[in-house]
Amino acid sequence: MYEFEYHRPANLDEVGRILGAREEAKIVAGGMTLIPTLKQRLAHPSDLIDLGAISSLRGIREEGDRIVIGAMTRHVEVERSAIVQRGIPALAALAGHIGDPAVRNRGTIGGSIANNDPAADYPAAVLALGGSVKTTKREIAADPFFTGMFETALDPSEIITAVSFPKPQAAAYQKFPNPASRYAIAGVFVARFPNAVRVAVTGAAPCVFRVPEMEAALSRSFSADAIKDIKIPEGGLNTDIHASAEYRAHLVGVMARRAVAACG
Amino acid sequence: MTFIGKDLKVVGTRPIRPDGVDKVTGRANFGADMTMPGMIWGKIKRSPHAHARIKRIYTEKALSLPGVKAVVTAADFPDIAAEEAFAGEAIMDFRDLSRNCMARGKVLYDGHAVAAVAATSPAIAEAALDLIEIEYEVLPFVIDVEAAMAEDAPLLHDTLFTQGVEPKPSRPSNIAKRINFTKGDVEAGFREADHIIERRYTGKPVHQGYIEPHACVAAVAADGQCMIWSSSQGHFMVRQYCAHLLGIDISNIRAMPAEIGGGFGGKTLVYLEPVALALARKSGRPVKIVMTREEVFRASGPAAGSVVEVKLGAKKDGRLTAGEVVLKYQAGAFPGSPVGPGCMCAFAMYDLPNASVTGYDVVCNRPKVAAYRAPGAPNASWGVESCLDELAIELGIDPLSLREKNAARDGTKAVHGPTWQNIGYAETLAAVRAHPHWTAPLGPGQGRGIASGFWFNIGGESSAAVHIAEDGTAAVATGNPDIGGSRASIAMMVAEVLGIPVERVRAIVADTASIGYTFLTGGSRVTFATGMAATEAAERVVEELKKRAAMMWEISPEAVEWRDGMAYPAGPNAGAFEPLSLGEIAFRSARTGGPISAELSINAQGAGPGFGTHICDVEVDRETGAVKILRYTAIQDVGRAIHPAYVEGQLQGGVTQGIGWALNEEYIYDGEGRLDNPGFLDYRIPVASDLPMIDTVLVEVPNPRHPFGARGVGEVPIVPPTAAVANAIYRAAGVRLRDLPMSPPHVLAALDKSDG
Repeated sequence: MYEFEYHRPANLDEVGRILGAREEAKIVAGGMTLIPTLKQRLAHPSDLIDLGAISSLRGIREEGDRIVIGAMTRHVEVERSAIVQRGIPALAALAGHIGDPAVRNRGTIGGSIANNDPAADYPAAVLALGGSVKTTKREIAADPFFTGMFETALDPSEIITAVSFPKPQAAAYQKFPNPASRYAIAGVFVARFPNAVRVAVTGAAPCVFRVPEMEAALSRSFSADAIKDIKIPEGGLNTDIHASAEYRAHLVGVMARRAVAACG
Repeated sequence: MTFIGKDLKVVGTRPIRPDGVDKVTGRANFGADMTMPGMIWGKIKRSPHAHARIKRIYTEKALSLPGVKAVVTAADFPDIAAEEAFAGEAIMDFRDLSRNCMARGKVLYDGHAVAAVAATSPAIAEAALDLIEIEYEVLPFVIDVEAAMAEDAPLLHDTLFTQGVEPKPSRPSNIAKRINFTKGDVEAGFREADHIIERRYTGKPVHQGYIEPHACVAAVAADGQCMIWSSSQGHFMVRQYCAHLLGIDISNIRAMPAEIGGGFGGKTLVYLEPVALALARKSGRPVKIVMTREEVFRASGPAAGSVVEVKLGAKKDGRLTAGEVVLKYQAGAFPGSPVGPGCMCAFAMYDLPNASVTGYDVVCNRPKVAAYRAPGAPNASWGVESCLDELAIELGIDPLSLREKNAARDGTKAVHGPTWQNIGYAETLAAVRAHPHWTAPLGPGQGRGIASGFWFNIGGESSAAVHIAEDGTAAVATGNPDIGGSRASIAMMVAEVLGIPVERVRAIVADTASIGYTFLTGGSRVTFATGMAATEAAERVVEELKKRAAMMWEISPEAVEWRDGMAYPAGPNAGAFEPLSLGEIAFRSARTGGPISAELSINAQGAGPGFGTHICDVEVDRETGAVKILRYTAIQDVGRAIHPAYVEGQLQGGVTQGIGWALNEEYIYDGEGRLDNPGFLDYRIPVASDLPMIDTVLVEVPNPRHPFGARGVGEVPIVPPTAAVANAIYRAAGVRLRDLPMSPPHVLAALDKSDG
């Protein structure tokens, strides 16, 4: 780890002030990715701005037919939230299977989404549920938010404050975890709304993506059978030491069918 | 004196472990916890190449960085001649060990140590590593065992000629050694067979995965006296190896045992200690080196990867007539894979009239393998126990009956030589047959497999001292680092002999200057051999206590009886005096001859071999290839369980590591010969949530050569799991996996092939 200045401001204005003043400053939420990166000296920020003291960034509330989750809400809080369990049980279940207990007690939804790790679980939920990302500057819809591997539509001085999810009629997330890290080798989130079905895939490609063919087929007939012949092209999928693109393409089909079946 | 068959009060119970509180409260001092005044930090520069000639090392820039106190390379170590040493369960050579600790002339694997620095902070040491420039001539490399055996393979050592072949080869080779032994007439045995089966099984290197990385502190005083504090499986080993590698008198080194956070065989040799000592000698400051997890993966361990070819011949009724195995083991960068023990274990469980076993010890551009729990046995049994299952299926015999028919029993002459006595293999098979798991119903997509395992267990040199304190409590010191509960088991045996509660006996691990020579903690020897020394030392103390009581009563020592921690007058004096407690005798010991203690050094013989049989249920997900372990029962002859909970823990731990080996673990190399998964995010060991509760059955066939009947228990349980899992997968899904690991993509590919 290199040296850096540590800040723990009490409000977002203060965060903005430090960010404006220090070009190489970095924001830390749960630190589940950043701290290991620092430890391995893969990053060298001048300043670290800890959002942990800003209480307005935490908490889960219902706003009409939506659930709004503060950016600094930890995975374990989403997992155990009665509001989430009632409104979007698939999201609570997803949160309960991220990493391990230590990760779930430190990691936050805002940190996960801002980092946009290709194998993280939350991006699949945000994209499939058609959620929106509230920031210090605006509200960004899920589709334009996730732009590429570890890339989002956030500008350098913009901070996520909350994520807003519409409640679906039914939803389910199925992932095939890496046996070591528990990151998704392939994870599929299926959400059914009165006028649409959305399917988002994480872990399989450099960035979370939707599967329009599956969405169309499921909109016509919401059953696992309806998508059994849809093949995900291997081109563009990841090959690494854990799985080939071919295996991932296969898993996407399997996880999608299981997610549809799990919607009941 | 033997305690076998006696009514015991302490041995066989489950007291709270004496090292537990320190460990769960974080108070235990592990290798990395030691600090000394003036201490500085060492770091090791490692090779980025799988194979390269070292042309020049530039250290000037590093040395000129403020805070850097010393830089060492191979030039700072004596270039020592080849000399074989026996290292726990494997043979190794001091010349190779020296070159493994610090590369000389060539680097032989990604991660090979090539220089080291010591500086006033870890950050400065790290920065200094970047300032060391090394000119390499990159050479062709070879990673896999059969590729390394090929005629045209890149050669690691110009001086390596295959041993064990006639005529003596004139060209160097990567095959360090060929071993063969035979029993009976193999050709005739196969002619006699009604059915012959021939298969090939492969496995990848896997790491021991101990949770504590290697760590040490070394200091050299102005008069040349050295102190080493480190986490190892044997501080006498550390002392001996450091003395040899650096040319220091053994008496000038005092090695202190740290608490050890797992070893599993991987800490039976040195990596850091000689380097820290060289840096300390050069800088005049105590030097601490702690490996990162990445260094642990790249430069320590692992177990050998292997190719195992098995041929079995049997009569229609399942009676084996002949067997043949060829074992090809990766040694890593230097000779010394555990192919020897692998050869001996291959058929050790069976009464086989005709057999041939051939082994190859092969070097390749990977880290030098280290012992890993029953070194060599899991590789061999992965082949033989899988092949037996395939034979059972082809013959239409259930796999338990096949093993019962061919099981080695007392009087069986094993293929590798010994005639078995007092073994409990058949008893483990009987326990399988009697266990409800064996006949429990299975659901669709589920299957059940069994496999057996064997390990020799060893005895050897051990010392123990028992001291009685003035309040009648006792301390027992031994020379073995406690990796598997030996402080608990030794304290229990001593308490049993003294007749006092185990809470009144404190067991400690003494340093090399404080107890007699003790061979390292390995080979499942400590409860057996060191336990024997401690028991005998306690018996001597009891004799002394009787003498002291006799003196106090003014009667003959033969007329004193020791019972439940008290001296009683016996014979004609029975009832003549009030009994004397251990505390009362100890309190007055100054008046009866001084402190009461006994130290004993022995070379223990008669370790009892261990046999186990495991039952495994799996469910195979036909769509993803994922294998879930549903239920697992490990049954083992343990001789006598001193502390049954610890013994069960050993069985459960071995099974867990074996399941990791079976399903997921492997060293993955990229196209440049660099390790691609040197961390737990990418190297997949099983965790508690991956596994069901592992059930255990302790079969007790006492070992008559141990005072309590104990056998080593820690190594056998890692032997059966790979085959038990594969055999279960076959019965669940109809596919036979012959390559490890049986990870989901591999299982799915096999399923697709069988469907196609």
